[in-house]
Amino acid sequence: MALASLAWLGGCKDTAASGGDTKEPAASGGGATATGDVIKIGLVASQGGDLRPWGQDCIAGARLAEAEINAAGGIGGKKIQLIVEDSNSKPEEGKSAAEKLASEGVIGLVGEVASGITLQMKTVAMDRGLPLIAVGATNPDVTKDSNGLVSRVCYTDDVQGPVMAFFAYNDLKLRKVAIMTDNKQPYSQGLSASFAKRFKELGGEIVGEEFYQSGENQFGGQLTSIKSKNPDGIFMSGYFTEVGPMARQIRQQGMTNVKLMGGDGWDSTELTSSGGDAIVGGYFCNHYNNAEDRPEVQDFLKKFREANNGNDPGTTMAALGYDATMLMIDALKRMDAAKATMDSATLAKTISETVDFPGVSGKITLQGMNGDPEKRALVVQVTKTGQEFVKAYEPSEVVAK
Amino acid sequence: MDALFYTLVGIDLNWSSLPQQLVNGLVVGSIYALIALGYTMVYGVLRLINFAHGEVFMLGAYTALLSSWVMGFSPDAIRKFYESEAAKKLADPSYVERSIPADPFNLVIMILLAMAVCAVIGAVIEFFAYRPMRNQSRTAALITAIGVSLLLQYAGSLFLPASPPPSVAMEVNPYQTNVSVTLVPAPKEIRDKFDDSVSALEAAKESGADAETIGDLERKKNDLEGQVAATATAITMTQGKIVMLLTVLVLMAALRFLVLKTPAGRSMRAASHDFDSASLMGINVNRVVTFTFMLGSALAGAGAMMLVTFEGTSMQPFFGMAPGVKAFVAAVLGGIGNIPGAVLGGILMGLAETLVTWLGFSNYKDAVAFVILFIVLMFRPGGLLGSSKVEKV
Repeated sequence: MALASLAWLGGCKDTAASGGDTKEPAASGGGATATGDVIKIGLVASQGGDLRPWGQDCIAGARLAEAEINAAGGIGGKKIQLIVEDSNSKPEEGKSAAEKLASEGVIGLVGEVASGITLQMKTVAMDRGLPLIAVGATNPDVTKDSNGLVSRVCYTDDVQGPVMAFFAYNDLKLRKVAIMTDNKQPYSQGLSASFAKRFKELGGEIVGEEFYQSGENQFGGQLTSIKSKNPDGIFMSGYFTEVGPMARQIRQQGMTNVKLMGGDGWDSTELTSSGGDAIVGGYFCNHYNNAEDRPEVQDFLKKFREANNGNDPGTTMAALGYDATMLMIDALKRMDAAKATMDSATLAKTISETVDFPGVSGKITLQGMNGDPEKRALVVQVTKTGQEFVKAYEPSEVVAK
Repeated sequence: MDALFYTLVGIDLNWSSLPQQLVNGLVVGSIYALIALGYTMVYGVLRLINFAHGEVFMLGAYTALLSSWVMGFSPDAIRKFYESEAAKKLADPSYVERSIPADPFNLVIMILLAMAVCAVIGAVIEFFAYRPMRNQSRTAALITAIGVSLLLQYAGSLFLPASPPPSVAMEVNPYQTNVSVTLVPAPKEIRDKFDDSVSALEAAKESGADAETIGDLERKKNDLEGQVAATATAITMTQGKIVMLLTVLVLMAALRFLVLKTPAGRSMRAASHDFDSASLMGINVNRVVTFTFMLGSALAGAGAMMLVTFEGTSMQPFFGMAPGVKAFVAAVLGGIGNIPGAVLGGILMGLAETLVTWLGFSNYKDAVAFVILFIVLMFRPGGLLGSSKVEKV
């Protein structure tokens, strides 16, 4: 707390020095007012640690949004400046990164790709009265009780669990599903629960749930127990690091016909290397897919390839990072058009009034949603060289009324 | 009566899967045992708990990974291969897609490299970190060990491929075929039903039934096939696991021979019995210590290579921590300093974990291993096979 207020003082001084604006802070804690020739947006992303590939993609996507708006002349003659700080895949470092950005006078924050880090950034956003747009944080708590400051561009775990349950029951026609849960990851526990609830509501049966911990590598015991219950599908809600070897071991136990399913924790280029042929044909829930023919996706890919030596984004985080940054820029544009004061409080309000923003990952509407957009979710199938689009769901189709 | 009791306490016993679970436990336990040997031998000679042993295990896994990449099994190479196969198939629909040929020779290179690299690393760690601390208090040496462990973890984060956590490609491993031994076949009526469902499916396919009917019949067939598998008492494992168990046996036999029948082993036992007297008797104790570290580390390297290759485990620089702790507990359980004890402890830990899972408590799997340790140490403070003599202070 002491540290936070010190940083806040520092922030005031910086703003005063750079822009000479000494306006009293609005709302709960302050926020910044855009002054001078640039509008600063802060991005927190992991440039080191386990989340590095997601962080790098997220930065590449956000930079693309920055370049695009500045090439188009910026907003009201002002350029957008994206300042990136590293969270090193750690919640505490994400918090100090957000504090640093706040003291550099950013008008709003974008980030992070993981829920744990975003929750820490949220405390900073709330203290400083800055709007925060989360990129890939799917945990429902991220946007809760945030005074309209925190929103996100991805779906929540309350959507992807039911999506997979709906797909398993109606499309794969599965009736008896077993669950493997990583009891060290709140993400996995939450996802397993939301899947099980919806699958049972639909009339399916959960024949068993077995547990493991991230970092474990032999699942023989749990899988033999599951085999003796004869499921027709297994839902693996953890991250790909364990899901890959687990898939291999499922086939090694002789469960050759069982369908494998999971959440967006599967999304990695490494999945097929650790899972091999066993994981090929498995289904998981994802935010968007490069092969979709919507113009937003194809435009984005074209721009991304131009800016990144012809490479495609490795994960969905590039598109989500682009969407989050673009959403904030879109709100700033609307403020400019309405001749509103360019400050954080107005920005937060404008973001929460977003209707039908055409994101790469689907349409985003935040009006009256408390920060959680109703995002479409995709079911994709694992192939030997990547993933293939199977089906897209609107949340209203799958979530129980 | 029994059934009622088990239902009351929430245990759903499935006797037909017990043999499979015992084999699962043996496989898990054999890896624990390989790592535990390293802990126990070093402790036997130096009375030092080598906390960096888990990191040596991690480096063994990475050696296996990097050598597989050098031999042409890197993710990029594999992706390119499949993409070119798919392109050929697209150009000529009659073309049959190939997969990368796997050669057992690759595995031999990988395991030998992993063992050699680990042996060298073990010796280097001993020379630079532990040797200068040998005459210091045991606490100082212990803290040095923790320091080395952290150093390797974080240096690994800087220099090793870590994100996304890589894994040895499945294509390296030629031993993927399942071997199944049926002890008691499934009840006849289920097998008959399964046979009926197969013929019903074939009949439907021949008569050109619509896709929905075929889908339903296929699901019914799959369900019955699963029921047959679930009710039969059988042991299913891949050839890879058999190779793994055999290799562990060979390594343990070799270790036993080395320790009991060779001059080097004799010096090791002498140093373990009384370090100072051994040195007075003209044994080069420094060489004995280096040898011990190399031996233990090489075993960990072999275990790591087999685990990541046959199970497909993903790795990152902190990958050695969890198996390291488990193996350490196994070594203590068996009696630290006692070589057969480490093997026994490892196997017992593996069996305990899978049996707890068999009882339906996979959530408490790790806790139970420690409860067993606690109980054993209460009655036998020196571990199962260890001597519980009071140490001279």
